[in-house]
Amino acid sequence: MNSLELTLAAVTFRQANRVPVMPQVFGHAATFAGAALEDYIKDGEVLASCQLTAQKYYGYDVVFSVMDVNVETEAIGSVLKYNRNDYATIERYALSVKDDFDRLELPDPEKAGRMPQMLKALKIMKRYLNNTVPIIGCVLGPMTLATQLLGMEEALFLAVDHPERFMQLLDYTTNVLIRFGTTQLKAGAHLPVVFEPSASPAVVPHQFFREFELPQLTKLFTALKKAGAVFNWLHIAGPTQPILPYYQQIGVDIANIDYYVSANEAIQLLGDVCVSGNIKPLDFVETSAAEIEKISKKLIDDFETRGGLILSSGCEIPPEAKAENIAALVGAVQ
Amino acid sequence: MNDLLLRDFVTHLLEGDCSQAVKEAERLISSGYTAEQLVRNGIEPAAETLNEKCTSVQFNLLEIMLFGRAATEVMKVLYPGGSAVDSNKGTLLLATMEGDVHDLGKNITKMVLTCKGYRIIDCGKNCCISQLIDMAVKENPFAVGVSGLISSVVPKVRQIRQAMDEQGLSQVKIIAGGGTLKQLTPEQLNVDFVAETAFDVDRFLIEILGGENK
Ligand code: B12
Repeated sequence: MNSLELTLAAVTFRQANRVPVMPQVFGHAATFAGAALEDYIKDGEVLASCQLTAQKYYGYDVVFSVMDVNVETEAIGSVLKYNRNDYATIERYALSVKDDFDRLELPDPEKAGRMPQMLKALKIMKRYLNNTVPIIGCVLGPMTLATQLLGMEEALFLAVDHPERFMQLLDYTTNVLIRFGTTQLKAGAHLPVVFEPSASPAVVPHQFFREFELPQLTKLFTALKKAGAVFNWLHIAGPTQPILPYYQQIGVDIANIDYYVSANEAIQLLGDVCVSGNIKPLDFVETSAAEIEKISKKLIDDFETRGGLILSSGCEIPPEAKAENIAALVGAVQ
Repeated sequence: MNDLLLRDFVTHLLEGDCSQAVKEAERLISSGYTAEQLVRNGIEPAAETLNEKCTSVQFNLLEIMLFGRAATEVMKVLYPGGSAVDSNKGTLLLATMEGDVHDLGKNITKMVLTCKGYRIIDCGKNCCISQLIDMAVKENPFAVGVSGLISSVVPKVRQIRQAMDEQGLSQVKIIAGGGTLKQLTPEQLNVDFVAETAFDVDRFLIEILGGENK
């Protein structure tokens, strides 16, 4: 079975000859291939070539066209500060709480900011991989884009002080993401992972998630499926236990689980949703290959009877991770 | 100390109701309370209530942020000149290190320690070591607190001690906090203390102030 077939089997809880393994290698692909992080997040060709190099070397079951959490906000007008070997940071936010959210235009993915470069990376990888390995694009979640447009604190205070205006902003961000995600699918992604750290219970209570976020995510995932996403993959880091029970109703097929959530909790709270996770990202820098192998094998054992596991890290593997630790994760599924 | 007449004030603070908290503070001042009484018997006990919640599973960031906003607005009314510093305490620098944009934890720490009477200099997020050292030379803090949520800042945190020593700042304690740094020990980070939360650091600060500055 090739990587795509293994993934399909895992998501639909069918038997396969092994568990698929998808370490979240984003910026690490640049470090690994000797490219500057700045070039990697700006140039689709560099991104694709680093992703393909890393995938070929480690032999895992995925490639990602993921730049950073600033692609959409930059396309809408935020000003970034680029660093040669670190992720970029936002220097000026595109919006302020006083703006009229009704008048905002949707950015055109073919033209705005780095969006076209992300599409380019997808096209290159599609040509090269010939439908054997899942090609994963990326959009932010509606909440994270809102916080990346206003700043985290401004956005949260807006939600409390003027919930109806915050909803209006979420309506806008969801539409931005539907358009960007749909274009990624056309460019060759099997699906865009929806990256939504700001909706984590580490940041907002689960009631907030239920009231503000759930309707928007449902709309986003319904639209992505309709546009051809093979699966819906939701990525929320941190202690997500209180919100996992909502995932099935939102239309999530793959749930990212961070190391804060145990295998047992995930199994109990998620129903029939495939799990991707949950090795601690810092372990790829700080511990040994033997340790990674041990915890990976334990995780595979924990899911043995239930099935529905994609072996992965709980979140992004840090760019400076040790190569032998990633290799150990990949080795554990054999 | 539990002052019943401050009960409404504490409730407004805990509910994060900015305008009511400010109104109540103004009313209390005009009825004879001093700013210091409102801090000691109003803001501090309110922060203490959140402290208890913070260690439990019910930790609610939004609640703390709203309290922080209300407390900050009240402080502006109580100290229009901008100073509420307890002279027995002292100055502390706070920073989120270069390459890291996660600053919610640092901002909460700033708010909690300001409420406890420390003078806080906020070096912001994405702060490099040289900026931190320049600020330490200028402000003469008794401790520097760094927050880190992504692992790429770990090597930078490890360098701070030496960079400070080279500038004759060996007496300045270094405290680390935040999601990633708190997974490591003081020895691994080459710092004096690793804080679990924004609240538990106060005990360490009192200890060093008591031990060395008295
Ligand atoms: C919200 C969030 C974001 C927001 C941050 C917004 C903001 N303004 O802060 C956004 C969307 C911008 C974001 C971006 C990214 N994120 Co993020 N994010 C999170 C998330 C979900 C929550 C973090 C948070 O705010 N927690 C709440 C605060 C209050 O907790 P805290 O900081 O620990 O603070 C408490 C204490 O530690 C203490 N404290 C904190 N600092 C200090 C300092 C001192 C001196 C003291 C005494 C105490 C103290 O006070 C607080 C109260 O007690 C975490 C996952 C998680 N941990 O749950 C990931 C996480 C931190 N992110 C992660 C990553 C990888 C990223 C990105 C790199 C993603 C990407 N690939 O582009 C980017 C970062 C870019 C960059 N250059 O930094 C990883 C880091 C992994 C690692 N070890 O390196 C995490 C851990 C997810 C994971 N499990 O892997 N993220």
